[in-house]
Amino acid sequence: MLEHVLNGLYYGSILFMIASGMTIIFGVLGILNLAHGELYALGAFCAFSIVGFVAGQVAAPTGPATTIVFGLVVLAGSLAAAAVLLPVGGALEAAFIRPIYDRDEVYQLLLTYGLLLVLTDVMKFVWGPSPVDVGVFSAINEIPTTELVGFSYPSYNVLVILIGVAVFAWLAWFFDRTKTGRIVRATAINREMSTAIGVSTDRMFTLVFAIGAFFAGFGGAMVSIGPSSASLGMGLSWLVLSFVVIVIGGLGSLKGAFVGALLVGVSSRVVTPYYPQLELAVPFLLMVLVLLVRPEGLYGTWGEIQ
Amino acid sequence: MTTGPTTAADSGGIDRRTLLKTVGGSALAVALAGCTELLEDGEDSLADADVPDEPIESGLQTFTEGAPSVLGVQAQYGAETAVRRINENGGIAGREMNLDVVEEGGAYLTNYQQFVDEGKDVTFGPISSSGHAEMVPEIEAQEVINVSTDGTVTTLYEEDFPDVTYSFRFQNHDVMEALAAVMQAVEVLGADSIDTYAGINPNYAFGQDEMDLFSRGIEALTGAEEVYSGFPDLGTGDMSTHITEVNGEAPDVVFSSCWGGDATLLLEQGHANGMFDAVDLLVGPVLYGSANDLSEDLVDGPIYSGSRNFYWGEPSTDQWSPAADLVSEVEDEYGVVPTAHFMSGYGAVTAWATAAEKAVSLLGRWPEQEELATVLENHGFFTPAGYHTIGADHQGYSNAHFGELTWSDDHDAAALSDVNVFAAKNVSPPPGETSADWIGSW
Amino acid sequence: MSRFLVERDGQTRVRLSEGMELTKSQSVLAVLGLVVLFAVPDITRLTSLSFQAIHRGILFGLAAVGLNLLLRHTELVSFGHAAFFGVGAYGAAVLASHFDVSSGLLLLVGSVLASTAIAVLIGYFVAGYLDIYFALLTLAFNQVLYAFVLQSGYFNYSDGLSVRPDGLNPPTLFGLQWTSSGYDLILYYFTVVVLVVSLLAMWKLVNSPFGRALDAIGQDRTRARFVGIPVEKYVWIAFAISGVYGGLAGGLFALLQLHVSPEPTLYAFVSGEILFMAILGGFGTLVGPVIGGVVLVYLLIQAPFYVEYYNALTGLVLIAVVLFLPEGILGSIPKIGTGLARRRSDPGLLREDVATVGSSLRRGVSRAVTTVRIIVFGVN
Repeated sequence: MLEHVLNGLYYGSILFMIASGMTIIFGVLGILNLAHGELYALGAFCAFSIVGFVAGQVAAPTGPATTIVFGLVVLAGSLAAAAVLLPVGGALEAAFIRPIYDRDEVYQLLLTYGLLLVLTDVMKFVWGPSPVDVGVFSAINEIPTTELVGFSYPSYNVLVILIGVAVFAWLAWFFDRTKTGRIVRATAINREMSTAIGVSTDRMFTLVFAIGAFFAGFGGAMVSIGPSSASLGMGLSWLVLSFVVIVIGGLGSLKGAFVGALLVGVSSRVVTPYYPQLELAVPFLLMVLVLLVRPEGLYGTWGEIQ
Repeated sequence: MTTGPTTAADSGGIDRRTLLKTVGGSALAVALAGCTELLEDGEDSLADADVPDEPIESGLQTFTEGAPSVLGVQAQYGAETAVRRINENGGIAGREMNLDVVEEGGAYLTNYQQFVDEGKDVTFGPISSSGHAEMVPEIEAQEVINVSTDGTVTTLYEEDFPDVTYSFRFQNHDVMEALAAVMQAVEVLGADSIDTYAGINPNYAFGQDEMDLFSRGIEALTGAEEVYSGFPDLGTGDMSTHITEVNGEAPDVVFSSCWGGDATLLLEQGHANGMFDAVDLLVGPVLYGSANDLSEDLVDGPIYSGSRNFYWGEPSTDQWSPAADLVSEVEDEYGVVPTAHFMSGYGAVTAWATAAEKAVSLLGRWPEQEELATVLENHGFFTPAGYHTIGADHQGYSNAHFGELTWSDDHDAAALSDVNVFAAKNVSPPPGETSADWIGSW
Repeated sequence: MSRFLVERDGQTRVRLSEGMELTKSQSVLAVLGLVVLFAVPDITRLTSLSFQAIHRGILFGLAAVGLNLLLRHTELVSFGHAAFFGVGAYGAAVLASHFDVSSGLLLLVGSVLASTAIAVLIGYFVAGYLDIYFALLTLAFNQVLYAFVLQSGYFNYSDGLSVRPDGLNPPTLFGLQWTSSGYDLILYYFTVVVLVVSLLAMWKLVNSPFGRALDAIGQDRTRARFVGIPVEKYVWIAFAISGVYGGLAGGLFALLQLHVSPEPTLYAFVSGEILFMAILGGFGTLVGPVIGGVVLVYLLIQAPFYVEYYNALTGLVLIAVVLFLPEGILGSIPKIGTGLARRRSDPGLLREDVATVGSSLRRGVSRAVTTVRIIVFGVN
């Protein structure tokens, strides 16, 4: 049972990393970004190239110390891969999305769907049509974690859970404690007022979209260095699951996304062995249930949505 | 057949006439069997035939991108290689062959219809079993021959469409690889020491069909009991739940028909979660399909894989030069080792091409679709994988391969060792009997 | 003036019935559209256009017409219309494969009944919701259905069911067993008739008091409630009607495809596509969703045969429509029409258009470049 819960936490952590970006973008920009899954996939492909390169620069791990060094190198590579998404996300927002904030929301859906299709083929052009795997998963599992407390569980999963918590902590800190974060929240709550006091909403929106893209990409990188490969179309099912998570948590709520992701992750993993036919349906049933009982989601929102 | 002076060939002392006769008698058949060194001069028995000049147009649908392209691109390479060899050897009865390739994902029926609209003489593919089932009646209605590369669900021709004319399938069907897996497991562990088994299979018809047949087979041979059967989504990102369950039950044998990215994921997470310490044996009919995506540490452990109707090292390449030639050609051309799915594409094209040529030599003109379909029934031909027949049920029959997953430094890819070759008659029912009934009668 | 011509706002209008009037140019377009629709089989025989793709496009377009009732009038974005399309398709498939019903029309009745039932059920839960919550709740119900069908042996899992009652032949149409090409042709003309009737019915509906009430609900729910409109009930009814269209389209799709599997009919992305068809064609119009359906389906099905980067092609078309045809394809035709007329008289405007498009592209690129520069180098 403990292992099923851990499996769920691991799954939920990945889900949170992707959904966090989506919920921030929705909360501040009011855009449901359908291309978010492709930003995640792009992060996975970038991680293949960048992590593959930096991991090739260090020797294969031999002892506990070198495995930790190796793990840090992989983590740095993943962050670098996600960092690629900052300018990419920013440029996409500035070029395509900025002109249509005032239009009916359905055009935003159509436009981000168009971006989804274009991004897929950009990745096909750069990395080819077949899946690619960076192949550092087993080395990461050499890092000692649970063995230290006499329990056998893949270190990679443990690290992903820890990183998921760290991402949540950083985002919470950013939006709660930093000046920029507070300005972003203020902008989300009242655009006119922020503009009036001299905030460039254009800049803020671009920044928020870039941060959202960064975390989608980071989620992708985390998956890519794990047991899965980076492949075209990998973002689709995660995109749909991200909707579920942010709806359960409350649209635009970061805390909600975190709790929602873990809830979806744990419930689906714990239920699967007993009711295998529910594996796919659990997240959606959960979503229907939450929406019917608490339409605003578990945590409501931290910024009014315009 | 008017041939030039016969010289003794250097392969195993068989002279050219004998070999030509064995592989079906024509230069094309020899070329597709991979014995091109036997051809010294053009042959002209088909020269008098009344055959149109324009090239043959053909279409292949396969998975060209995304996760399933691990198999699909191999099938594409295979079909392209066969077409290349056909054209290098003067075409089919003098006709060159063109091949269009299109992504099959979700568009099986419209793809086939588009091919027919474009006037294709023959269509190949798909990989997907559900796509294949969807296409069969349409193929019968449109009357343009389709030789499916895979789409291997057993009941397709046994129960769902027992009487078809234009729809054929080259690759071994599920019963052959599921039973090969059963026999391999019994050989490795011994029937007496298999008491429990489990399964992790992709959640769609193929995975369910394979698991069902494996269960029937292993229960008939060993009396083992199923302790867990999980069906993760096809193309899933996480199988840890199922692996945790399998570890908890610690069965003697685990069966998995996971393929492509799922196969890699199963091995990755299996190793990470200590599954290969918990179970005695993993048998997987299509794990080797991911040969070029596996790494050395993944193949470690009691893991046996099938390789459908073709494993490049069997018959041993030092005795059977066609396979050796093929491996080096594919490695030069595409930078991968060919897997069974390469043969899916190669063999589907070869089945049709050799039958077409046979039909021309019988008729003295290019055959109609219906005539060609008649020739394809009970048609036998060679590829570098050996001898194949297309049965009266339109199912391809070849040997089934199974071996222990190992690593080949020479090819920098996964390999199989101690390969068992199961003759078709040992792993599939006799004509007229369904697989379920046949296994039930063991 | 005859019974069918009326004078209004200084324009002669063609009048079909109470509240259903067309301007002269609209009538010309409508007649032209009808002629083209009926000529499609002949056009595609003479050109390399794909008959199958257009037929499929019309079917999805019909579902989009239903979706548009909610989108255009009650201003609700449904992200779950594949539920109706899929249930409609499965309704026919279940009757054909489990109950050996061989009449195509009966199968269609089954489709509509099944999808209406589902629409009534889902509508009961979602009618009170607004905006993004409505969109995501419909999506959730859609996915629950998808997951349910995918896991169900009765629906034969992901492989789906055949719509061939005897296992090999298509259902009968009008009591007759047709050959393959005859079947496709008859089904096509039948589809066109269904489409035209459905469009007329929808037109009548949106111009009825009920349709006006939906408009009022879309503009302001509170106000609508105050003037005595039973808001939730009306939305519920609109949702159910929308489901009828989806089910009809799905049933016809089952008759065309003769095989129904979950992914092409029930998956959330099919819902997205149906929504995008309405927007692409112009959701402010009645017929726009059909145009959008044909264009999008044609791109999705045919592009892979012509270009390697077919996703990008489709994506660029969608982006271009959003940025340069703000009312969708059909919605922008009046503007294009007057624009063209003005350009015919003043060709200099054409150069301006090119300049406008060019400068908007340039501005987009320069915004992107500036942003990248700020993010990467931290400078303005």
